[in-house]
Amino acid sequence: MFINRINRGQLITGLALSWACIFAFISCQKNEAGTEIPQDKTYTFQRPDNFPPPTYTFENNPVTEEGFKLGRKLFHDPILSRDGSVSCNNCHIQAVAFADAQQHPLSIGVDNRIGKRNAPPLTNLAFMKEFFWDGGVTHLDFTSVNAIEADFELDESLANVVRKLNGKPEYPPLFKEAFGIDSITSPYLLQALSQFMVLMVSSNSKYDKYVRGEAGGQLTARELEGRQIFQLKCGSCHSGELFSDFSYRNNGINSDFTNDLGRALITEQESDNGKFRVPSLRNVARTSPYMHNAKFWTLKEVLDHYDNGVKDSPTLDPLLKNNSKPGIELTEEEKEKIIDFLQTLSDFEFIADSRFFQQD
Amino acid sequence: MKKLKNIGWALFAFTTLTLMSCSKDDDNDSNNDNNKKRGTLAVRFDNVVGSEDMQLDSAGHNHYHYTNSNGQTFGLSLFGYYVSKIRLTGPDGAVFEDEMNVSPNPDEVKGYYQVLESETSSQIISLQNIPTGTYDNISFIIGVEEDGVQEGAAGGVLDPANGAWFWNWNAGYIGIAMEGNAPDSPQEFVDWGGGFVTHANTFAIHVGGWKDLPADSNGVQNFVNNIRTIDLDFTSPLKVEEGLNPRLHLKVDALEWMKASNLDFATTYSVHSPGAGKAFADQMNRIFSVDHVHQ
Repeated sequence: MFINRINRGQLITGLALSWACIFAFISCQKNEAGTEIPQDKTYTFQRPDNFPPPTYTFENNPVTEEGFKLGRKLFHDPILSRDGSVSCNNCHIQAVAFADAQQHPLSIGVDNRIGKRNAPPLTNLAFMKEFFWDGGVTHLDFTSVNAIEADFELDESLANVVRKLNGKPEYPPLFKEAFGIDSITSPYLLQALSQFMVLMVSSNSKYDKYVRGEAGGQLTARELEGRQIFQLKCGSCHSGELFSDFSYRNNGINSDFTNDLGRALITEQESDNGKFRVPSLRNVARTSPYMHNAKFWTLKEVLDHYDNGVKDSPTLDPLLKNNSKPGIELTEEEKEKIIDFLQTLSDFEFIADSRFFQQD
Repeated sequence: MKKLKNIGWALFAFTTLTLMSCSKDDDNDSNNDNNKKRGTLAVRFDNVVGSEDMQLDSAGHNHYHYTNSNGQTFGLSLFGYYVSKIRLTGPDGAVFEDEMNVSPNPDEVKGYYQVLESETSSQIISLQNIPTGTYDNISFIIGVEEDGVQEGAAGGVLDPANGAWFWNWNAGYIGIAMEGNAPDSPQEFVDWGGGFVTHANTFAIHVGGWKDLPADSNGVQNFVNNIRTIDLDFTSPLKVEEGLNPRLHLKVDALEWMKASNLDFATTYSVHSPGAGKAFADQMNRIFSVDHVHQ
C-alpha cells in the first residue's frame, strides 16, 4: 500500500538516497584492511576531552571550510579599519596566542590611537559566555562589532565595512561560497569572523597532555608541585580547565578607578568599581604584559603583586583579604614553582597551527 | 552481500517513509479547510505628541513645535521602538502568538519590528495566519529580549549595519529611542569625526538593557533590564477570519512619556545606559494606548 502511493520520481530518489546512506554507512566503518579511514576534521570544531561544553551558538553558524577561510582573510585584512591601516591581527598575534605584541602593552588603533587596556588573547573563545575585560559583550559574534567601531581600535562603521566589502571584487564570491548570499550583509561578516575565532582552541599544552594521559604529558616533580601550590593559592579564581571562573574581581591593581571603572562600566554599580574579568591563564607565559592595564611584564612581577603589592579599596576581592595584609602570601620558592607550572600551559601546537596563518 | 541487500531495503523503506511523511505535512499545510481558520490583523502605531500629530525635524533644527510639562519647548528628530513577541488573546480563549526567529538572513527574521516615525511603512504591522476567533487584547514587548540577543549576529531590522539600534560596548539593542532639539538642553556641539556630530541643544533618550541576571551573593542586582511588556485591551473586540480586514489603531504619546518620567531637558538630555534609561522604561506603559479598532 505504501509502495502504491510512491510515484516513480520518489522511487528513484528513494533508491538513490538509500544507496547514499549505505555508502555513508560503509565509509564510517573500517575498510577491508581494518584501518580507520580518516575523516577530514581540519575545519570542524571539536571539544577537547578535558574541556567544558562550548557556549557558542554553532547551530546558528556551523563552521565550514569556506566560512573559516573567509573569516581568516577578513581577520588579516585592514579593510575593516577606517583608513585601511589596522587589521584584527595587528593586536591579536598568533605567536603570542592571539594576544597583543609586547611592544603594544595597550592596544594601538588607527591614527596610532592608544587604547585603555591590554588586548586579551583570542583563545578558547567558543567556551566563554562573556567577552572583553569588562564582559560587556555576551556573544562572540558581537565582539567584532566592538573592535571595528571603537574609535581607538579600527574606528570604522560596520555599515561602511559592508559597503567596502561589497565593492571589492574578491569578497562577494567568497561570501557566496561560504553562505550562499549574493550581497554581503553585516551578520555574515560577523559570522565569518566567528567561524575563524571559534577554531582557536588551545588544548595541546603539556598540561593538557598530562591531564588526558597522552604522550608528551609528563610533568616534572617541580611542575607538579607548582600545580599543587597553584591550586591552593590561585585556584579559587583561576579554576577549571580554562583556568578562570570568568567572574569579575578587583585584584588590587589600583585603589583609584577613575581611569577605568572596569565591570562597573557595564553594571553601573559602584560595588563593581575596579573589577575586571579573571583572565584564562592558558598560554600565560607567552601573553605578557599582564593585567587589564598591562602593568606587569613578567609572571614573577604578577606573583610579587599578589604577595605584597595588593592595594586595598572598598571593592577589593574578599579572597585577597584573608591575611593580615591584603594579598596572597607566597614564598619565593612557591612563586618559582607556580611559574614552572604556568609554563606547562603554553601550547606550541596552537601558536604554530598553520590553519590560522595569513594566506593571501 | 545478502545482508547488505537487506540493509539496503531497510534503508529504502525508511527513506520512503521519511519522504512520505514530509509530503503528508505539506498536504496539511495547503489544506483548504485549515486556511479558512486563519485571518489577519493590521496593527497601526500612530506616534503623537499629546493632542498633536508627531512631526520630525532634522537634528540641530530650531523648530520647537511642542512644549513639555515643565514648560520647556522642544522639537523631535527621531522617535521609534522595537516591537516583538506580539500576542493576541480573546474572551473565548483564542490565542495568537507571532512567530519569532533570529537569523542572519533578513527573510528569516520573524517577529521583530522596528517602528520608526521617519518610516511610514514601518508603522503598520500586518499580522498573518491568526486563528479565526474574537480577540480583545494585545500584548507585546518593547525591545529585544535575551533570547533575541543571544542568538548572535542577526539580519533585517536587527542588522547594526542596516539601521538596527545596537549598543556595542554593552551588547544589545536599544528598545525605544527619542531624540530632538530643546533650547534648555545644555548639550554642547561635538564632532565625533567621520561626519558624525552631536548638535548643540539637543537631547537623546536611548532606553536599552536586557540583562536579567539573578542578584549576586551580596544581594546586588547588577543589571537593569529595561525590557517592558505592554498589555492593552481593545476598545471593543475584533473578529478575525479569512476575508475580514480588521485593524487595530494604537496611539503612542511621546509627550505623555516625558510627563510621566518628568523629563527636564536642563538636567536630562543624554541617556545612553541601562541605568539611566530605567526611569523612562518604568513609564513605558503610560505611552501606549488603544485609540480605536476597525472591524
